[in-house]
Parts: sequence; structure tokens; C-alpha cells
Amino acid sequence: MKKFFGFFFRNNSLLLLIALSAVSLTFIKMEQADVLQRINTAGTAFRAAIADKIASYGYLIDLKNENDRLLETNIALIGRILATDNAIRTEADRSRILSGTAEQLKNFTLARVVDRQFSNRENMLLIDGGLSRGIRTDMTVMTPRGLVGRVVAVSEHYAKVMPLIHADFRASVVSSESGTMGVLAWKGGREDMATVDHVPISSSLKLGEEMLTTSFSTFAVPGLPVGRVVSITQGALFSTVTIRLAVDFSSLNHVIVVPLNRDPEKLRLLEGRTESGTDR
Amino acid sequence: MKATTFRIAALLVPVTLMQVFLLPRLSVLHVSPDAMAVLVGFTAISSGRNASMLIGFLGGMLTGMLIGQMGLLMLAGTIGGFIAGLFQIPEESHATQSLKTRKFFLASTLCSFTSFAVMAAGSNPLALSFAYRILVLGSIAAIFTLLLAIAARLLFMKKSFAD
Repeated sequence: MKKFFGFFFRNNSLLLLIALSAVSLTFIKMEQADVLQRINTAGTAFRAAIADKIASYGYLIDLKNENDRLLETNIALIGRILATDNAIRTEADRSRILSGTAEQLKNFTLARVVDRQFSNRENMLLIDGGLSRGIRTDMTVMTPRGLVGRVVAVSEHYAKVMPLIHADFRASVVSSESGTMGVLAWKGGREDMATVDHVPISSSLKLGEEMLTTSFSTFAVPGLPVGRVVSITQGALFSTVTIRLAVDFSSLNHVIVVPLNRDPEKLRLLEGRTESGTDR
Repeated sequence: MKATTFRIAALLVPVTLMQVFLLPRLSVLHVSPDAMAVLVGFTAISSGRNASMLIGFLGGMLTGMLIGQMGLLMLAGTIGGFIAGLFQIPEESHATQSLKTRKFFLASTLCSFTSFAVMAAGSNPLALSFAYRILVLGSIAAIFTLLLAIAARLLFMKKSFAD
């Protein structure tokens, strides 16, 4: 017995290391669990509130009001342009424009970027809009120039946005002229460049073509500008396309959050559920 | 646990807030100094390895609450605390002021590098290569932390290292 306790006494540092590491690994495993998500959301809210206060010191009130007014106008115009562009593409949308209903445009939400982290530890934006303003997880975030990212966590008054310049971000895109499709990904390096993967070498994609979000994306509204093609490198089966992003992430002050545009039937099909609603 | 450890624990919250809100604004090449590593380094030489591991663990937990990835930050803090604990100065030792200072700098720097390496192994939001993340950015983080430790030593720890 004495030897047993002696062992623990002599190796208590190692045992503590093992115990604390085990707790940490359990937390890593539980990261998706509800409790940790709630702690994370609360932490995000607290941090965003502080960052908001810090940011507001350097904010000129009159300039802010004028800026907000202009951005509100921009939202309305962008909403109309997007709706018109998309509507022209399909006959159904054209008839919707003629009937003068564009209800979804009313739900665009303007939000201010209160914190921006672009480090090896984290890469995200914090915006001052949350559940109270109708913002939900997976909503598209954009500016008048184009796609910014996707909402990944929401608290009552703030939301965390994964920008498209994040290693884990993916979105399907289509070129404006040739209709070439691909998957947008950011593979590190410059903040203003990204790549489009899975572009067949047979595609007629040209330099300078604009890349837009597709109508079959599970989160993004279709027709949002993403960037312009600056280089095309041909591989064995697919080309690697580099695009210059439409949005300047280094000077992002305001964003627009677009409501979810999900077709439940499509989501059911993607999730592999049958008509009866049971998993296959 | 000694009273010093509790005093250090009281610094956890302000250091965490500084780490999350202030230091990212001083970042170069997307890397910022690690104030938590300085606190862990000081804990290691003044209160020993177990205390430094515990402070690293709790510091990681608090930081994780604010920025996410709690588990990974806790693990990084614990392992950083363990490495910093290698520079522990026994109570009965007659270490000189300069030896204590050297050990404090080494403990902080190595703790920062180790924590950074653990974080880099578990998360890669900037899509950088593994070697670049650990060797280049880890070294930069360690150097920044050393500078922060030197500043802390000169400004706040004049009496803490008395012979």
C-alpha cells in the first residue's frame, strides 16, 4: 500500500498531466454537444459586446448615420438587382417580378462588423445582429460587392460569421458567361484570392469571367458575385481556377445578412430521406 | 497550494481578457504574443509544475469560453504548463535573481511555443502548411511572448525575483 501511494506521490505531475489532458480531450469530443455550444454562444455574445464597445469609441456618430442610411439604400438596390437577375433566368421568377412581389427582400438585415479575427488561432467575423433581429445559423452574409460568408453561431444580439477565406468554407459557384460550375475553396495565402475546384478541363471558362453563387447552394442566395477569374491552370482531369474575390476583407465594416432560402424538399433529398420522412 | 498560486489565479481573468481583446491588435503575420504563457511561466517558477499545469488548463478554459475550441485550448494550456514546469525553482533553492529571470523567460517562451504547436496541430483556419504553422509561426509567437515576458519582468515583477 505504501508503495502504491509512493508511486502516486512521486509521479503526481505526470498523473495530473494525464488527468487534465483527458478532461481536455473529453471537451474536444464534446465540442459539438449542446452545453458547450451554449457556453460558446454566451462567450461569443460577451466578447462581441466588449468588442462592440471598443469599436464604437472610434466611430463618428454623424458619419455612422450617413453610412447606415447609404447602406440601407444599397441593401434595397442590391436586393432588387439580385431578384431581377435571378428572375430573368427563369420564367417563373419573371412572372413573380411582374406580379410585383418580392417579399423576401424585406428580410435583409444590415449589421456592423464589431470584431474581425484573422489569425492562426481563429478566423471569423463578429457582427452586431443576432436572434433578436431574425438572424439564424447558416444564413448568407454579403456586401453590395458580393459574398462574405456564412453565419455559424448566433446569440441574442450578435452572430459569428465564417468568412469565405476560411479553410473549411465551401460554396458552389457558376461562371456568368460560360455557365461553368465549380466548388469555391480558400487554400490559404492571400486574403483577396480563392480557388474554384472541380472545373473540368473541357469547360469554356475564360479569364475575367465573373463567378456567382449557384441556385443549388444549400445556404447562399443564387447570383451573388464571388469574384473574377484571374488564372486557369489545367490539370489531368480538372482545371485549377484562381479568382480575385469581389469583397475586400481588409476593409469590411458593414454586411448584409440574407434570410435562408432553403427548399425543404431539396434538403430532405440531400439528407437521404424518403418521402415518408424516414432515413434511408 | 501556496498563497502565491491563488494570487496568480486571480490574474487569470484579466490576462484572459487581455489575450482575447488587446493582444490580437498587436499581431504580426497573424500571430500575437501569448500573455497566458507568461502567466503560466511565472507560475511554473514560483509555484511548481502542478500549479502551472492547472493555470494553463484554466486559462485555456476561460479563453475557449470566449473564442471557442475550449477543449483544444485547455489541452494546449495543460501541455504548455507541463513544459513550463520543467523550469521550476524549488523553494529551498538559493537561486540568484538572474537565474530566476532566465528560467522565467525560458518557461514562458517554451510554454508559448508548445501551446502554439498543440493549437496548430488541432486547428488550421488559415489553411497553412503544418511545418510552416509550427516552425515559423510558432517561433514568431515564442519570440513575441519572450518580448512580452521581458516587458512584464521590467514593469511588474521587480520584487518577485528578489534573491
